[in-house]
Amino acid sequence: MIMNKPIARVLLAPAVAGALLLAGCGGSSEATGGGQTPEPKEDVTLTVWVMGDSGTNFEKVVQPFTADTGIDVKVEAIPWDNVNDRLTTAVASGKGPDVTQVGLSLLASYVEGGALEDISGNLASYPNLAPENFPEAVAPASLHADGAAYTVPWVGDTRVLFYRSDILEEAGIDAPPATWDEIRADAKTLAARGKGQFGYYIPQWDAPLPVSYTWQAGGDVVDGEGKVTIDTDAFRAAADHYLGFYADGSVPTAGDFDQAAGFISGAAPMLVSGPYLAAAVREQAPDLDGKWGVTTVPSGDNDMSLFAGSNLGIWKGSEHKDAALELLDFMADPATQVSWFTTTGELPAATAAFEDPALTKDPMVAVYADQLASSRALPISTRWDAANAAILETLNAIALTGADKDSSLKALYATIEEINAR
Amino acid sequence: MTSDGRAAGRPPGGAAVLAARGADVHQERESVSRAGRGRWSLLRPGAPGRQTRRRTGPWGRRRAGATPYLFIAPACLLLALFGILPILVAAVVSTTDLDIGGLGDPSTIRFLGLDNYERLFSDPKFWQALRTTTLFVVLGVPVIIALSLTIAVGLNVSTSRLFTVLRAFYFLPAITAIVAVALVWGYLYNSQFGLLNQGLALVGLGPVGWLSDPNTARVSVAVVAIWRATGLNVIIFLAALQAIPQDYHDAAALDGAGRWATFRFVTFPLLRFALFFVTVTTLIGWLQFFDEPYVLTKGGPVGATTSVSLFIFQNGFSFNQFGYASAGSIILFILIAAVTAVQLRLRGSDD
Repeated sequence: MIMNKPIARVLLAPAVAGALLLAGCGGSSEATGGGQTPEPKEDVTLTVWVMGDSGTNFEKVVQPFTADTGIDVKVEAIPWDNVNDRLTTAVASGKGPDVTQVGLSLLASYVEGGALEDISGNLASYPNLAPENFPEAVAPASLHADGAAYTVPWVGDTRVLFYRSDILEEAGIDAPPATWDEIRADAKTLAARGKGQFGYYIPQWDAPLPVSYTWQAGGDVVDGEGKVTIDTDAFRAAADHYLGFYADGSVPTAGDFDQAAGFISGAAPMLVSGPYLAAAVREQAPDLDGKWGVTTVPSGDNDMSLFAGSNLGIWKGSEHKDAALELLDFMADPATQVSWFTTTGELPAATAAFEDPALTKDPMVAVYADQLASSRALPISTRWDAANAAILETLNAIALTGADKDSSLKALYATIEEINAR
Repeated sequence: MTSDGRAAGRPPGGAAVLAARGADVHQERESVSRAGRGRWSLLRPGAPGRQTRRRTGPWGRRRAGATPYLFIAPACLLLALFGILPILVAAVVSTTDLDIGGLGDPSTIRFLGLDNYERLFSDPKFWQALRTTTLFVVLGVPVIIALSLTIAVGLNVSTSRLFTVLRAFYFLPAITAIVAVALVWGYLYNSQFGLLNQGLALVGLGPVGWLSDPNTARVSVAVVAIWRATGLNVIIFLAALQAIPQDYHDAAALDGAGRWATFRFVTFPLLRFALFFVTVTTLIGWLQFFDEPYVLTKGGPVGATTSVSLFIFQNGFSFNQFGYASAGSIILFILIAAVTAVQLRLRGSDD
């Protein structure tokens, strides 16, 4: 009645699984194999999960595919917040779509749930799907240690440094910061403009940020076997960089600080974000045109950023595997990738698409392309998600509540050991 | 688009909705028909059955004996299917390491015995969530009861059109979608451009981190929950107030009782049943506190508003540890059952 019933959600998935266990049938383990029977393509309808509000755009972009091949595409739009629920239910019941969009942050759940077909043996037959067509960050070998290929890249996304050139200039800074030291110093200068004015912005929910800092310091957060290893000098340097902005008073401490509003008002004249922020600023503040820009992220040891796109995968046991592969091939075609970019503004994953005039005419896209070449995906494991949440919460606790740094980090390392042991 | 199916469009019949609230729903039904009027037969569901048995109908003694059970069979079946079974399943799951891999391939599920519970009790995050929930209960329950009773008494003064409108006004938050509530309150609370801080700035007071200061955020989130939950309880109290026969007030007036004395010695005691109902349901609601922190703060800043329910949700659905989350939900279930049992016992003794 008055409050809602979260327990129900937690109970639901196990209940589904439990019911399956009781019934003695094992979800998707039964549904594997198959998928190879040839069939007249005119009768084939592919069900595709598309996340967020891209469903209608997807329908539009695949029209030429259906016209060419006779394969119908039925799009099911799934809000980002519901993806986990839908995935859990589909994995437990063994009933999924034929093709699904997989945000890189959720790839681990898909793979560990056994939801995706390994298509490493098929890539050679489809020229557009060859791994060398895409940035190395999303090559199957970079994503999965076991040599499998569960997905193919579809949408590219990365984080770059946004800066307000007008405000920087006023403060006597003529070029955006290119190194860690410069951004710390510039942020401090800009924060000195007055009360409510900051130099930089750290989203408190941005779990990948401390990870990119660790990469930029020349380290990594997992070892060769997928164990989380952050008791390292690189991570400590990343933590110092992260906490330094707070110590300098260069960043807002309010968790509900709105980055688009803050960038437009000038309260946060520098921040690291994705191409969607550029779209938001252009739409909400067209008069700022020419007063802001983007550049690759400041480097410590290097300028590694986050690769945060979406891939496409084929559901394990799909009866239309061949048709699904054809759709994947079509979506990875540089021409389709360009049409997806012009329709939605989302960046291509195929490197060749960046040479199309539709993309080269926007100077910011060149920056994104540069940064994509120097980007990495987060480790693909659900264990990592728990570790990442712990890292973020520890750093925020130190920065915001004044928790003791040394003992907090020590406790964090212990938590990570416990997570590794799971 | 409605991005938040979790909070808003949750189907009321979801498999385990009744799981931890079986008792709650049962009481709700009872009270709707009885609030403020008569004895609760909460613990005596067999009472009407016995009566029917004595009055042997045209179908003879044996048939009449079975009839009442036939009538309650659908309800019992549903309760067993959607209430008791999921609890049992969760109890089983809580002894395993079920994660998403286990859902896909059950052969990977390992039996852990009570390991999940052991881990739970040594998890500082769980204890923090428990403390946070306790704080919310201590903060929320008395305030809601006092506030809704006060408003109900006020609204009961007159039945004029103005008061009818006011009644609707107080009920409005209860029927507003949580997503809309989150959006509007989020804007009010925003530390950058929120109305509250703008107002404070007018009188020269510094910005307050309504949702970003850990201690303030707890209060802010609780205020929204109080605001949302008051309406329904006002209606319950109002119904109970209006069910008090005028005779009692007349008698009190004849005895020379003033307004306060009438309320204290006539009205208030007659509200005992409504008061009990509101206390039980509100307490259960706050023990399961979830919606407001989920939509407003996602449990932050730095875990300050993470209730036990949110803790369970995060472990289950963000970190895919269904076994661990199930252990948490079983503990919460036991906690709620215990608190409710204590209330029923206390209630029984003052009868």
